[in-house]
Amino acid sequence: MSITNTQSSRGPSLRRAPRLFTHSIRGWLPIAPFIGFVAVFLLMPAVVVFQRALGRVDGPKAPMVEAITGQYRKSFIFSMQLSAITAILGVIIGTMVAGSIVRLGHRRGIRNAFTGYSAVAANLGGIPLAFAFLAALGMQGLITKLLKTTGVDLIGMGFKVSDFWGIVVVYLYFQIPLMTLIMLPALDGLKPTWREAAANLGAGDRQYWRFVALPLLLPSLIAGFLLLFANAFSAYATAYALSSGSSKLVPVQIRFFLQGNTITGKENLGYALAAWMIIIMTVSMTGFIMLRRRAERWRR
Amino acid sequence: MKQRNILAKCVLIVIGLFYVLPMLSMARFAFQRVPMALLGWDTLFKRWTIQPLFTMMSDPIFRQSAFLSLRLAFLSALVTLLVLVPTVVYVHVSMMRARPVVEIISVLPFVVPAIALVVGIAGAFRDLAPWFIRSDYSLVPFYVIIALPFTFRSIDNGLASIDVKTLVDASRSLGASWTRTLWSVIVPNIRVAVASASFLTMTVVLGEFTIASLLLKETLPLILSQSQGREPQGSFAVGLVLLVITASLLGLINRFSRRRNMAQSVTLL
Repeated sequence: MSITNTQSSRGPSLRRAPRLFTHSIRGWLPIAPFIGFVAVFLLMPAVVVFQRALGRVDGPKAPMVEAITGQYRKSFIFSMQLSAITAILGVIIGTMVAGSIVRLGHRRGIRNAFTGYSAVAANLGGIPLAFAFLAALGMQGLITKLLKTTGVDLIGMGFKVSDFWGIVVVYLYFQIPLMTLIMLPALDGLKPTWREAAANLGAGDRQYWRFVALPLLLPSLIAGFLLLFANAFSAYATAYALSSGSSKLVPVQIRFFLQGNTITGKENLGYALAAWMIIIMTVSMTGFIMLRRRAERWRR
Repeated sequence: MKQRNILAKCVLIVIGLFYVLPMLSMARFAFQRVPMALLGWDTLFKRWTIQPLFTMMSDPIFRQSAFLSLRLAFLSALVTLLVLVPTVVYVHVSMMRARPVVEIISVLPFVVPAIALVVGIAGAFRDLAPWFIRSDYSLVPFYVIIALPFTFRSIDNGLASIDVKTLVDASRSLGASWTRTLWSVIVPNIRVAVASASFLTMTVVLGEFTIASLLLKETLPLILSQSQGREPQGSFAVGLVLLVITASLLGLINRFSRRRNMAQSVTLL
């Protein structure tokens, strides 16, 4: 410890100059390459998006306003509905899975298999996942056929993988495991002593869940919802591959403005759509991070 | 109690099927030459073949894209380590108060979806450095950025689990230079984290579609999506191989991190 300190505060300029200021600049210097890298390849593109979105008005409306009116408004509503529904279903089913794992906790094998696969599946996506579901739930899909032999006619019911509900089911493939991973530590954190304490004070099962467990789990549940929402909202490749690019999702709308590496037509509108996406993502991720901190308060 | 256990088992069985069946469907579609209408108990094990995979692999366009994706994956992992390891080591050794700042910077990529990032990339670099986005390798820094929230976590956790200050003091007092300390003292001690970060970057690169497709780079996922109509069996076969590779890399990381008692380095939690 002492050696490192003398190392970092060595050097003649340090003793001569106003100590605090120089020290802090010097201290930050080795981090500069990292910050520079992020600034050039992430912040600069993001700033350009906002600059152009808020810049010169070439139509009757400002691009940021036009991006949330008419067909683009419909796109945003479609995208947000899709994200919200997959998030809600993901929260409910993912929590059920986590609860089931905890309940069968004495079987380590089951727990390890599910957490291990969840960690993998939560990060799957893109083109291959779309392929898997086309093979499973498409017209000639395996699950479609299996269900038909048990008397459920998916296609006859009007189900299509490329439709709204189809995309919902596909997204659940990564949403459910993600939620399971969020809820497992939260459920593990419910200490048996709390339950006993509640019982000693005369609380029934239902009262324990309503007044003790639920308030403790609520931050995790809401944080999970926000993360899943953001996760679905920013996804693009899977939906694109499922519906051959004809979907109403915001990212696909943005794609129309971006051909190759140039933005064509009403170019500022493309930037404005992207800017709104960043705003929505920022709001939900900030909420997620704040709630996650709150949720961790009760864990040791 | 008993009844609830049965309910829990039912939930896990249904979800287990939901996880497994799409993968099985994909495998069947890719590797079995029996039309769906004829599939039944008697044809279940007939005419399985890995020919579609070979058909794809002999396609020069596909081969080029696969090699491009592999090169991008290795380069991105390398750049990730070069950018991240010295920074995070420095923060842990003598600038812990900078850690919250570095952490916030490294989760920033989450709030910029790939599609918004690519719009900004086109806007920022098209005029400024057209030669840059024309090159296939321009994808590397952006892939490093996309993977950053995961890779930072991994390296950060790795360093938190060792006594990095003592190691540095010992190494420096024995006369080792900073580079030597970093390369032959710290890195070997966090090799699991380094491997995890590299694997995470590779899984990101092997799966990324949005940026590559809009910058017209013919990476593996892009060629897969294009050849879906022309060569369905082959592209599904390659898609499955890709999923298996991704899953194995993520599974490996998960296994490492569990052994080191730093679970959940895979997700951002």
